[in-house]
Amino acid sequence: MNDATMNDGDTIEALRARLEATRGRQYWRSLESLAETPEFKEFLHREFPQNASEWLDPVGRRSFLKLMGASLALAGVSACTRQPDEQIVPYVRQPEEEVPGKPLFFATAMPMNGAGIGLLVESHEGRPTKIEGNPDHPSSRGATDLFAQASILGLYDPDRSRNITNLGDIRPFSAFATALQDALKVQETSQGAGIRILTETVASPTQRAASSRLASTSTRNMRSTRPT
Amino acid sequence: MPQIFRRSANTLSKVSIFGLLSLVGGLIVLAIVLARSSYVTRQEIFVEQPLQFSHMHHVTDDGIDCRYCHTSVETSSFAGIPPTKTCMNCHAVLFANASFLEPVRASFRDNKPLHWTRVHDLPDFVYFNHSIHIKKGVGCETCHGRVDQMPLIYQQHSLLMEWCIDCHKNPAPNLRPRSEITTMGYRPAVDQSILGPQLMTEYNVNPPISCSTCHR
Repeated sequence: MNDATMNDGDTIEALRARLEATRGRQYWRSLESLAETPEFKEFLHREFPQNASEWLDPVGRRSFLKLMGASLALAGVSACTRQPDEQIVPYVRQPEEEVPGKPLFFATAMPMNGAGIGLLVESHEGRPTKIEGNPDHPSSRGATDLFAQASILGLYDPDRSRNITNLGDIRPFSAFATALQDALKVQETSQGAGIRILTETVASPTQRAASSRLASTSTRNMRSTRPT
Repeated sequence: MPQIFRRSANTLSKVSIFGLLSLVGGLIVLAIVLARSSYVTRQEIFVEQPLQFSHMHHVTDDGIDCRYCHTSVETSSFAGIPPTKTCMNCHAVLFANASFLEPVRASFRDNKPLHWTRVHDLPDFVYFNHSIHIKKGVGCETCHGRVDQMPLIYQQHSLLMEWCIDCHKNPAPNLRPRSEITTMGYRPAVDQSILGPQLMTEYNVNPPISCSTCHR
């Protein structure tokens, strides 16, 4: 600070007059402090002007560390609350063989390299949780590979389609059925020669039977195409 | 320049030091008392349920065994809350038009489950298994109290860890023959100080008290 910050009104005479008017203990460290100019007050308020803006900076390092430190220290306090109410939602009609708290094991098969691997899926109240090989199945004999083990994650994949969609919009199954019927009707004259169904390699006898049934009931000439 | 601190600062500093210590101590005591209060443990607190189900009526008036509804208590960790179908086994005929049973009928009609609020709620880091306690001769009444005298169910005991450990360290006073498991108001035929140790040997009762027994 220098004299330039002093206003014209804050001359030495004015200060002297003010000092004479005061009583009791009063301290000052500089003439600027005594003069109490707005600039000096601002300077005192922003004691470290080059850092003062950090308070407003949303991602400042200091404020980030402070907030994170406080959150970490206070995280333990969250254990001091009461447990939230928990609900029990029983079945309306409990499935046979279902024992709450005990898993059920379902035998199934998973297509792999054109064949099915026999699997056992552990299921807790309708939710599959673990996949192991089916010891009674000739293709796996209780063993699994990493693909079968990991396939459980596919069931909970958020990208997995949950609904029938048409151009991104969710449609009911009836809409699909109508659309399919219409498409098949158009093909009736050519006996289904223009119909293609794009699938991956089908190892499932059930799916194969379904597609051949579709072929026989609607049109005769439909062919199944699969990528090679 | 005069002294920065006046003489009164001595008293102030003493008061603030001891005040701070007693404040910290008081907060610790408060935390301990609060953790054992029924506000946190929910001991003897009634819970609002979708319908006013009375255990007293079904057990005392009707004489229905616990296991008619809580079917999996002997085989599973979870005793089981009956499906609506179990209610309708009787209430399709009994009180079939009663208005207070409408939630049950609505559930059965619309295939929408009833949402009960859990009364005995252990923390999620505790694994409790009903079936092993039944097998070792711990009766329903021992933990759940006189359910036959509860028009509305409530939690009889604190379910604090010290309560579990007390029994795991000394189970003999709380054992009964397996034939009396669901009996309410059970009185031992012979003195419990003789029967307890006898049942401990017979059922091979050796409750573990290692942390990982329940916290696994």
